Amino acid sequence: MSEKKKHKVFVNGAVNPQFIADSIAKHSSKLNIGAHNIFLGQVRADEINGKTVQSIDYSAYDEMAEEKFHEIRETAFEKFNLTCLHIYHSKGIVRAGEISLFVFVSSKHRDIVFDACHWIVEEIKANVPIFGKEIFEDQNYVWKQNL
Amino acid sequence: MSIQVKFFGLLTEIVGADEISVNGIADTDELKTKLLRDFPKLKDNRFVIAVSKQIIRNNQALHAGDVVALLPPFAGG
Repeated sequence: MSEKKKHKVFVNGAVNPQFIADSIAKHSSKLNIGAHNIFLGQVRADEINGKTVQSIDYSAYDEMAEEKFHEIRETAFEKFNLTCLHIYHSKGIVRAGEISLFVFVSSKHRDIVFDACHWIVEEIKANVPIFGKEIFEDQNYVWKQNL
Repeated sequence: MSIQVKFFGLLTEIVGADEISVNGIADTDELKTKLLRDFPKLKDNRFVIAVSKQIIRNNQALHAGDVVALLPPFAGG
């Protein structure tokens, strides 16, 4: 039976680098961990038709996104021998250069976290209903599509 | 029989709303036909349909109170 504890994934605005550092520090009490793998998605100042992306405004189908994050989490623990898993994704405006996705995976051994982190990030990009407006300096925008 | 239809991303701009109520629709094929007729610009856009937060691949019967969502391409991460 999987645990019913709700893990909050969405954060308002960018993920703060200090929060990432604090998360790492918090795990030093977990003495069965031998390896962490961290993925950070950063907003890139893409150039599209001569204009530069200044920020992305993220939105989501909240109820479905939360379910999908939960499923990804449950499946990750089944597939990989993980000690810990934390996922945070931004909603609202994230400027170029700021972090919009933080995936933090921990286990006894490095091969597990290398594989798990990769799998989790690809699952998020493919299956979670999150949408993004790429906003240019002139405030025009296009809707972002994952490749 | 009333169902809720949610729109996201670019689709909300085409429809002019992020949610509408629809009556008398029996299944998702019928819904798609109706939406394409009411909002012809939807035809030029890629989207998948979710019923009760699950993406459907085939025609699915709809029931009163169902929540359907039209989802444009994802952009998470």
